[in-house]
Amino acid sequence: MFFRLVADSFSRRLTRKLVTAAALALGMAVATAALSVALDVGDRLAREFRSLGANLLVRPVADSLPLEIGGVDYRPANAGAYLPEADLGKLKMIFWRNNIMGFAPVLEVPAKAMSHDRDDELGLASNRSVWPTIPLIGTWANHSVRLADGAVFETGTGRTNPWWQLMYGRWFAEGAAECVVGKNLARKAGSYVGGRFLRGLPIGDNLVVYRGDSEPPLFLKAVGILDSGGPEDDAVIIPLSIAQQLAGKPGQYRRLYVSALTKPEDDFGRRDPATLSPQEYDRWFCTPYISSIALQIRQALPGTDVSVIRRVAEGEGKILTRVRNLLWLVTLAALLAAGMAVGASSAATVLERRIEIGLMKALGASSGRVGALLAAEQLLLACFGGAAGYALGILLARFLGEMVFGAAPGPSVHVFVVVLGLAAVVTLGGSAVSLLRAARFRPAPILRGE
Amino acid sequence: MFWRILRRLLFAHRARLTLVLLALGAGAAVTAALLNLETDAEHRLTTEFRSFGANILITPRNTTAPALSAATLDESVYERLAAQQEAERSRSSALLYVIAEARAPASPEWVPLVIAGHKGDPLIAAEFATLESSPGHGTNCISGTKVAAQLGVRAGDPLLLRNRPVEQTCRISSVIRSGGQEDNQIFVPLDTAQRLASLPQRVSLILAGYYGAPEALQKHIADLAQRIPEADVRGIRQFTEAEAKLYTKIRSLLLATVALILLLTGLCVLAAMAGVAMERERDVGTMKALGGPFSRVLRLFLAEAALLGLLGGAIGGAAGIALSIWLGKTVFGVAAQPRLIVYPVAIGLTVLVAIAGAFPLRRLAGVRPGEILRGVS
Repeated sequence: MFFRLVADSFSRRLTRKLVTAAALALGMAVATAALSVALDVGDRLAREFRSLGANLLVRPVADSLPLEIGGVDYRPANAGAYLPEADLGKLKMIFWRNNIMGFAPVLEVPAKAMSHDRDDELGLASNRSVWPTIPLIGTWANHSVRLADGAVFETGTGRTNPWWQLMYGRWFAEGAAECVVGKNLARKAGSYVGGRFLRGLPIGDNLVVYRGDSEPPLFLKAVGILDSGGPEDDAVIIPLSIAQQLAGKPGQYRRLYVSALTKPEDDFGRRDPATLSPQEYDRWFCTPYISSIALQIRQALPGTDVSVIRRVAEGEGKILTRVRNLLWLVTLAALLAAGMAVGASSAATVLERRIEIGLMKALGASSGRVGALLAAEQLLLACFGGAAGYALGILLARFLGEMVFGAAPGPSVHVFVVVLGLAAVVTLGGSAVSLLRAARFRPAPILRGE
Repeated sequence: MFWRILRRLLFAHRARLTLVLLALGAGAAVTAALLNLETDAEHRLTTEFRSFGANILITPRNTTAPALSAATLDESVYERLAAQQEAERSRSSALLYVIAEARAPASPEWVPLVIAGHKGDPLIAAEFATLESSPGHGTNCISGTKVAAQLGVRAGDPLLLRNRPVEQTCRISSVIRSGGQEDNQIFVPLDTAQRLASLPQRVSLILAGYYGAPEALQKHIADLAQRIPEADVRGIRQFTEAEAKLYTKIRSLLLATVALILLLTGLCVLAAMAGVAMERERDVGTMKALGGPFSRVLRLFLAEAALLGLLGGAIGGAAGIALSIWLGKTVFGVAAQPRLIVYPVAIGLTVLVAIAGAFPLRRLAGVRPGEILRGVS
């Protein structure tokens, strides 16, 4: 009898039920879309933030003070400590290896250099010691690191300095006698470097690097022009192996930039690992906080000092947390609005059925039974409306994700459960007041139409 | 008569009135809150982005990296910038780099390092974590953590600086860590660095932080380049580019989410309103039986809906703006500026939705009074 009544109610007032279900489905679609996007946005944005480049800097621990201005180290090549390049594969062996998005070692060599044809014209060949000093930055442009497990990891400045753009030409080949020239140095008219005039270095020309009187000069062919918007515009980027050869430090580097995907530090992440209990330490170690990744890199590369580039990491953490909170609040607002509108709609369905309720009570139905009947109807509506809303919401979330990040958030079971539960709570909650009122209805006046 | 019926329609059924107001008010509140947050987002985001520090670099023209060349800018360039920065939503600071030496008074050994003279807004300090500090009088300097470790000094200690033949002393007011080159530098007041370098009234570079959307930033950079012809003005690509990218992403994400939620909230309220309207068959039937022409009956109901929309919008909109102020405070720490334009827009939208929600009543044109009054449905 109970089920017949419910089924009857659905078949007889189908339009009315459809309208309520539509309101419910739309509300739940908002909830689903907002929840899916909010759950996914942290990871997506964290990836976007990697366009800021490296957030960790690795240096030798026993180093003298670098004379570094604007990212260029002015120490002579023989001062300070170095690190072995061969160890770098270990970076992809740490616990959070998949969060290491890229790394690039750097070895700077200030060298006296001159563009090739100018050398002959000015007759400077005889006195190379008056050539201008140009910072030569040795690094990886596109480098394949062979890992211990046989895999190959592609990395280079593209990962650590994604804002570096080649205006013309291409990157140098690994180990070739080629170079990429900063755009200021490459200017056609040339420029003054260290008080000396250096003629522009267009693509195809050779940079002659002075290596002392006893050795023949090194010729590096310019193959590209770099626009970095930073101090590198006044420098020449060369393959790391060439820099090592010039500095007489084979297989070594001075600085390593690492770009890692991290979770913004919360209060727990900021605590000193030394003060954590063993369980807390495990939790800290197994969370991709930038500090725990820094610690793991220090353990993997002995003799290094790993510092967090605060300018990048702090800003990223702050903005990420804020944007995430903002989206959660928007989601909350969406849930609230959907809940209220749906609640109002289901309250209306109960309200309009006063006569029916009066009739049932007059025929001897108890208030509890009438309530159960109405609640069952509402729950059935919640199931259908919620499921339809979920499907619609997933489509919307996909659309949003594709549009903004070019990648759709995957459907999540959690969201489905939450949305169905929410639909049930909202419809029941919305009709609760009306149901309570219905329980107090006195059949006679209602049937009389008062 | 029209108004009397309208009043009765509205207030005869208090439960229904509450329901409709709840649905409309909730919709209006969310609309107002989201619109307010959205209009405020540009300001918020660009302010947040400045936790990256400077995004504009001003250097002397035709020069390479500052330490290697003697080219510097006149300090007046900085003064000119600083005088206008209030109006331009930007901040700036001037720096002069000197490669010099330093030592603790107790140690005989001079250590070569980079000394940075600094003046202006503590823009660059946005990136620092202060490890220890000991404020005091005299010439204060800030030491990078690596420098402090190398020289064996702490906050509060005196420090000797030398760039032959000039010698200066200062007192370390704090030790900072940035993770970047600042860890290897000592920050001193600009005039101290100018004396050390024997370059009075000169600076190596000027850093500026501009608060604005990416296009506005590019315009500002072009504007500065025109105003300071003697210098090379450029955006710090690492940050300008990432900011532009992130700004677009976050804005479009927010915009899309808000648009979606508004649309669906509207539809949701619409469906709820339609549901409420459909139960009015009896009222329509009675009115028609009493001889009211249908157009007049419809007008009555539309007027009711509009009034409800106005009321719901007014209450909900106000609640929504209050909500967004509170939200702004929780998320960004600063209350969102209430934008007055949001309020009428929210009310207007709610009225529209309410009237649209009453439209299924048109269906009742075909209602035959007799049937309704007899209770046949």
